[in-house]
Amino acid sequence: MTCIAYHRPTSLGAALELAAENPDARFIAGGTDLLVKLRKRVHASPAALISLRRIDELARVEVGECLRIGAAVPLADLAVNEHVRERLPALTDALATFGSRQIRNVATLGGNLGNASPGSDAAPPLLVHDARLELRSTSGVREIPLAEFFRGPGETALGAGEIVTAILVDGPSEGAVSVFFRKSRVSMDIAIASVAVLLEVDGTRCTKARVAAGAVAPTPLRLEAAEAALEGTALDEAACAAAVASVDAAIAPISDVRAEEWYRRHVTAVLLRRALMRLAGSTAAVPTGGGGVS
Amino acid sequence: MSEPLDSGTPRDTLSRRSFLKGAGTVAAAGGVLGHPAHGEAPAAPDQDGPETIEGTVEVELNINGETVQVEVEPRTTLLSALRHRLQPPLTGSKEVCDRGDCGACTVSIDGKPAYSCLQLAVDLKGKEIRTIEGLGTPERMSPVQDAFCEHDASMCGFCTPGFVMATTVCLEKHPDADLDKIKHEISGNLCRCGTYPHIFTAALDARDRMREDR
Ligand SMILES: Cc1cc2nc3c(=O)[nH]c(=O)nc-3n(C[C@H](O)[C@H](O)[C@H](O)COP(=O)(O)OP(=O)(O)OC[C@H]3O[C@@H](n4cnc5c(N)ncnc54)[C@H](O)[C@@H]3O)c2cc1C
Ligand code: FES
Ligand code: FES
Repeated sequence: MTCIAYHRPTSLGAALELAAENPDARFIAGGTDLLVKLRKRVHASPAALISLRRIDELARVEVGECLRIGAAVPLADLAVNEHVRERLPALTDALATFGSRQIRNVATLGGNLGNASPGSDAAPPLLVHDARLELRSTSGVREIPLAEFFRGPGETALGAGEIVTAILVDGPSEGAVSVFFRKSRVSMDIAIASVAVLLEVDGTRCTKARVAAGAVAPTPLRLEAAEAALEGTALDEAACAAAVASVDAAIAPISDVRAEEWYRRHVTAVLLRRALMRLAGSTAAVPTGGGGVS
Repeated sequence: MSEPLDSGTPRDTLSRRSFLKGAGTVAAAGGVLGHPAHGEAPAAPDQDGPETIEGTVEVELNINGETVQVEVEPRTTLLSALRHRLQPPLTGSKEVCDRGDCGACTVSIDGKPAYSCLQLAVDLKGKEIRTIEGLGTPERMSPVQDAFCEHDASMCGFCTPGFVMATTVCLEKHPDADLDKIKHEISGNLCRCGTYPHIFTAALDARDRMREDR
């Protein structure tokens, strides 16, 4: 191996051309996953790195009908962004405990999603908000739902030379509330399990429910059975219990140094129960009583 | 530290200071991207730094208010540049995990705390870098350094420079931080000796001293 080239384009167009010309290159944003993986030799040294840090288009949050979060905005900036707080409360929850101050100062959403860790903390909140990703390469631009982006641990729908340019979330619906809970062993540790929930309530009826979980399957995933158990109900105790009971069949956790499989199953159910109880305060409809799981 | 123990190194003459200086993961050519490049002449950096960097380049860094030139490769981390490339080296920032897990290498970049082991030196031209060496001297310590000494906030001391930097930046940004805020802001730093209670006492005392100085 001779030396690696480090490209620092200042425009998106230049970055995409560099990626097309250097099929073995890797993108680097905050580097908090990539540099660690290179250090641990999870990846071989790439022939070239293409830095996304000097591209203004990726570093902006644009607010309109749709919230457009540039893929390379540092998480620390998103954590205090009022539009993110207002429209994506579950993401603000996740960012509050994400890594550490030092990590949040440099890490990005594009990197978190691009890394495709099953335990990504940004993914469950974005999944419950039906986020879409804008992907770009020299052959053009396309949009895909985040739910279709993850293909397995470290595997994504990104094509060769393709980059995540933005995370898109449509404007908030009236009466939507969302929350994110995670369980980890210590601070700065990856989640044992995490759960995000979004509820839309019309009067006393739940018109839309979204539930997603992290660290309990090969990819972050939506828990559609739990959503079905909640939608159309008055979010009464029976509906919540049915949603919690549906979790076990929907997840496929592993046992590792952080937790055993059975414990991850248990914690996921507990987190969903807690999330529903927390949302009770903001939606009138959810019953506050009766833990069941604890 | 890199000497094998049977090499006849006069271990008992090693002072605590030289031990601390040499300690950390041993990686003299430390960097994350594999092998060092061979013998390219340093390229002259342009205003914002060249768009593509290959091999060895000279980068201008602003460290503790001084402008220094360092020869680095793209893979060279700031931590490695400080400890192994600078002349004289700045070894106050400790190399412990070298992968963003412990905080011992914490420095301030443009007033924000950063793990210097996860920063590429070539990215830092024009940024204001502050290391533990820039805070105070043994004769005239900064309020945070002073409070750490007074409250015995270190045992082996490996985590201490990182904690002092993280605490300093936290208190500069949040002069009225309460204990919960301080804990939140410095949770990216770990102390294996478990001196946390002393660290928190020191941080609160430093906050009060800094308030009085305002
Ligand atoms: C101490 C520590 C604590 C951490 N804590 C957490 C935590 O609590 N929760 C959590 O979820 N993660 C955590 N992480 C993991 C990591 O910090 C996050 O995943 C982070 O968001 C990665 O972003 P980055 O910009 O640093 O990514 P990088 O390391 O720059 O990139 C990661 C991957 O994504 C690719 N990539 C980057 N940007 C793009 C893009 N725009 N388009 C396509 N591909 C792209 C890169 O090529 C690379 O493969 C932690 C890491 C460390 C070291
Ligand atoms: S040495 Fe940088 S975080 Fe541990
Ligand atoms: S004093 Fe030993 S690691 Fe903190």
